[in-house]
Amino acid sequence: MASTMVLGIAVLIYLMLTCYCGWMGYKHTKSTDDFMVGGRKVNPFVLALSYGAAFISTSAIIGFGGYAGAFGMGILWLVFLNIFVGIFIAFVLFGSRTRRMGVNLKAVTFPELIGKRFQSRFIQGFSGLLIAIFMPIYTSGVLIGGARFMETALGIDYNTSVLMLTIITAAYVITGGLLAVMYTDAMQGVLMFVGMAILMVLTYSKLGGIVEAHQALTNLAYLVPETMTQQGHNGWTSMPTFGSPIWWTLVSTIILGVGIGTLAQPQLAVRFMTVKNTTSLKRAVLSGGPFIFMMVGVAYVVGALSNVYFFNTKGMLAFDVAGGNIDKIMPEYINSSMPDLFVVFFMLTLLAAAMSTLSSQFHNMGTAIGHDLYREYIMRGKIGHTISITKLGIAITIVISVILAYILPAGIIARATAIFFGLTAAAFLPMYVGAIFWKRMTKEGAIASLLVGSFSSLFWLTFVHGKEATALGISQAIFGQATLLTGTWTLVDPILVATPLSMLVAIVVSLLTKPASKEHIDKCFGK
Amino acid sequence: MFGIDDPQIWMAYLLCIGGALGCIIYGLIHWNEKDPEEEN
Repeated sequence: MASTMVLGIAVLIYLMLTCYCGWMGYKHTKSTDDFMVGGRKVNPFVLALSYGAAFISTSAIIGFGGYAGAFGMGILWLVFLNIFVGIFIAFVLFGSRTRRMGVNLKAVTFPELIGKRFQSRFIQGFSGLLIAIFMPIYTSGVLIGGARFMETALGIDYNTSVLMLTIITAAYVITGGLLAVMYTDAMQGVLMFVGMAILMVLTYSKLGGIVEAHQALTNLAYLVPETMTQQGHNGWTSMPTFGSPIWWTLVSTIILGVGIGTLAQPQLAVRFMTVKNTTSLKRAVLSGGPFIFMMVGVAYVVGALSNVYFFNTKGMLAFDVAGGNIDKIMPEYINSSMPDLFVVFFMLTLLAAAMSTLSSQFHNMGTAIGHDLYREYIMRGKIGHTISITKLGIAITIVISVILAYILPAGIIARATAIFFGLTAAAFLPMYVGAIFWKRMTKEGAIASLLVGSFSSLFWLTFVHGKEATALGISQAIFGQATLLTGTWTLVDPILVATPLSMLVAIVVSLLTKPASKEHIDKCFGK
Repeated sequence: MFGIDDPQIWMAYLLCIGGALGCIIYGLIHWNEKDPEEEN
């Protein structure tokens, strides 16, 4: 009872802080530039925390932490990629060029940056459409995660939770734009950082120290069930057997898919255009790296170590304690091992993780519809009712995400995230890399890469990659077989096929077509 | 190392810590660096 009251008060304080940050954003939002890119003068600390908080959702902590509980620490390679590629490469190499080109071309969204670089409204419109259609799947995944947590922790009905989460987040996104999103993200980021830091310290101290905890986990390897060993599981402190089904999923979908896919996330890339100069981006690396380490690094290590705790206290593995549902490993571990007060605090950490990701998705879907699709593609650049349409776009995509959150099957959270990351990597990454690093890349090359990346990724997802193809059933309906290819192919993630293909097409088509004029390239690259 | 036998795992563990520390050091070194191509 006491903890329910503490939880209630804590949530109330958290919501008040969120409202305050949202109001701050609203107060400082006076122009379209403010609403879209935070007026291009956001503080580096706010950038780093907001980038990290938007990047890390409940699914990263609960979903992938649970995955570590079941399959072990091999997923730490994803943490390394998240820090090295997702922060260092992204901020230092991509960030500075993206920011500069964004200013030179007066671009306020990710599709607009690419569209203007290649002088193509089609690229901007199509990219906007892709975001508007597919981001709601990712958003609904985050929404489901947040609402399921509110249902378990606060005892609020699932349907009410979905609506509450949506309404509160939508309110500050629609009124305050990107500034409100970033200020609240930063506040939520601080909360997440503290929550995860405490979780790390408590877990290691409970298990007798760092080396002792790891050694105890290594010693549990003999408990891996026979069925898992056959799939390639070699214990929680060993990589799965090379080429086994578990290895393919871990390496192709999780480590590479999410690790590389981050670079081409439109809701993250747009943040590079919110800061004043390259120095801000370099300063942001300082807090960005440790932040990601503390979020995912801690979640995965703790997820894996939960096996030691459960074995010591219940004589069971985490997977069995969670009743075979890996999404329940982290909540089960925290509820049974941590002090009550921390459980309350951790609930807030998760709420913050869900809301910070949701808000940036809402904002990005809205600008994709209002700015990229409506203003630039349909109205041919005329301002019209851009801000109103953007707000309407935010509202429409929110409604779609909410509907999806009601109808999508259970266990979709991590899948939904991976599908979106894979699609954006194939569709946007080669075009984005070419836009900022390769002056010879042409409009035709970019369009070809965008189309080939999008459709080959969707094709592989629908007809070859076992997990989605079987669930969708389209291949079964048309060809009478669950997947068109068999064997190892059905384990290879779309990102590994579609992204190289899209990159190849970008290079070949660019070399075969006429380069853009020198004046335009000079304008883009600022010479 | 650190109670982890598989080098593929302890290397990842070390790289994560090294990566985070590297980011801090990079941020500090370049804290006041101005980009010559930018006027503001």
